[in-house]
Amino acid sequence: MKNEAYYGQFGGQYVPETLMNTLDELERAFEEAIRDKDFMDEYNYYLRQYVGRETPLYYAKRLSEAYGTKIYLKREDLNHTGAHKINNVIGQILLARRMGKKKVIAETGAGQHGVATATGAALFGMECSVYMGKEDIERQKLNVLRMEMLGAKVVSVESGSNTLKDATNEAIRTWAKTAEDTFYVIGSAVGPHPYPKMVKEFQRVISAESKRQHMEAEGKNPDVVMACVGGGSNSIGMFADFIDEKDVQLIGVEAAGLGIETGKHASAMALGEPGVLHGMRSYLLQDKDGNIQLAHSISAGLDYPGVGPEHAYLRDTGRAQYVSITDDEAMDALVELCKLEGIIPAIESAHAVAYAKKKAKEMTMDQSMIICLSGRGDKDVNTISDYLAGKGYLN
Amino acid sequence: MNRIESVLAALQEKNEKAFITYVTAGFPDYDKTEELIRAQESAGTDIIELGIPFSDPVADGPVIQAASFEAIKNGATLEKTFECMEKMRGSGVNIPIVFMLYYNTIVHYGVKNFMDRCKACGVDGLIVPDLPLEEQQEAQDALGNCDETIMIQLVAPVSADRIPKIVGSARGFIYCVSSMGVTGQEGQFHSKVIDYLSQVKAASKIPVMMGFGIRTAADIAPMKDVIDGAIVGTHFIQLLRDNGFSADAAAEYCRTFKKEMNEL
Repeated sequence: MKNEAYYGQFGGQYVPETLMNTLDELERAFEEAIRDKDFMDEYNYYLRQYVGRETPLYYAKRLSEAYGTKIYLKREDLNHTGAHKINNVIGQILLARRMGKKKVIAETGAGQHGVATATGAALFGMECSVYMGKEDIERQKLNVLRMEMLGAKVVSVESGSNTLKDATNEAIRTWAKTAEDTFYVIGSAVGPHPYPKMVKEFQRVISAESKRQHMEAEGKNPDVVMACVGGGSNSIGMFADFIDEKDVQLIGVEAAGLGIETGKHASAMALGEPGVLHGMRSYLLQDKDGNIQLAHSISAGLDYPGVGPEHAYLRDTGRAQYVSITDDEAMDALVELCKLEGIIPAIESAHAVAYAKKKAKEMTMDQSMIICLSGRGDKDVNTISDYLAGKGYLN
Repeated sequence: MNRIESVLAALQEKNEKAFITYVTAGFPDYDKTEELIRAQESAGTDIIELGIPFSDPVADGPVIQAASFEAIKNGATLEKTFECMEKMRGSGVNIPIVFMLYYNTIVHYGVKNFMDRCKACGVDGLIVPDLPLEEQQEAQDALGNCDETIMIQLVAPVSADRIPKIVGSARGFIYCVSSMGVTGQEGQFHSKVIDYLSQVKAASKIPVMMGFGIRTAADIAPMKDVIDGAIVGTHFIQLLRDNGFSADAAAEYCRTFKKEMNEL
């Protein structure tokens, strides 16, 4: 067991022998790259000139007044391609190029990470294949179209439940066959070491900027930092620079779907059962026989049965707190944010906003919290309108 | 002595190669699984790899994935597989049986409980494709240094400098993956497969088996001098399916393969 691959008892490298040397090569290349000034300068150049960073830390005045504490929104929704995913993709694709790989593959659920990877691949002239469950391809036609426009090949995965976890399995299988010339761009803070670490480093910019921006605005650290958690990439990026600031409370918001008690949810940490999937040991949704259970959430981006290993560790050590928000609560918050601030958030991000409302009840106007607004809601307009129609909001 | 080790020692004595097949537990049901294992034992198969169905079989190709999903749909579980083992061991089935399963199945059951149960019901070895050497400490600790159940080590064409480390303390046999990726990519052996197998053979004190992509004894003719046996998985599952899970057809295939392999 490699100690650096672990966060307490979580993490590791649970992959076929075929991939062990590949992971080793990747780890060495990554550790070298992040210490190389030229590499980091180039990464930061693209974040600035292409992605459009830094993103604002916006003081949401009306939301603050409504909820009763100062609320700052970290506007990752303003990034190119509409979410935080691109930060990590730029980092990983630059690393792929540095390692001499000509092709990239990625898994995607709703298609956001697929679109970001297709974008990065187009930018650097790489061949790109995105693995996507057959069910998701049907549900997310627009993103399939976007990926294809960007020159990526979308591979339909017909195995198991035909969704994100199966697409991830298939991407791992393909990678095991083709690692010599192919780089696997993982979109969330999951997978075998060094992926969780790598994704954190390439998303760290979210908290690095926020910390400075909040200091400029308030002259102190925020009291609370909050982000939604699927696999946990925007949240680990939002937490990264605050983990050592013990006075800052970190809160991760998972998707409770129709409610934890219904079994139809995506809250891997609510039940706290550890397992092994996609190369890592972490908390996982499983049935009584140890098969992986399907997650459920109205937000496709949170619809994952596991969670990144560092989150599992932060939960167990008590450094971060993990809570969950139902579909209904998230949609109410989404509508509220639209009306109060003129911002249509991604349904994923709306989960964090929904918990902010609850959390604010125990806070004062002298205190402040940062919510990571991980993405914009344009992609969700169909889902939102179906939901609202079903619930009669529009009438 | 471990049952796998004694069977392989006996084969070595006779200068024969080992023939190993892969069967998915509970596919299509447990009665069939038992019937197929008994038929193969009679037909001279040396070791059975018994696949425990899992929802996310990341090291398997489409054929074994499908078998796995069907078995789960038909109600296959680890518990029922243990019961099937107990029944077979209690009624004269002596062929070595190796569980091929994913690590989550073990973790979910409780690593220590799982190992104890394996020892108690005659599971002779474990192949865990998503548990590389670096992650095996917990499993090895739970097994203790016992003879009832042993871990089987896998080596891949890209293992290179990892080979000595992996085969160093291995028991039973070394499972050499013939091609990159997953099970069942027929006929596409890694270009330098003979070099690689020779390297493993040279480093290993125990028998070396080749698996992934083998259909007939003729497939292993080019490497017959560097391996001690063959493992047939995907092709065997396909054959079972194509013949309506006929135990006779399975037995016939095993007899033929074994005979032809030892005439190479």
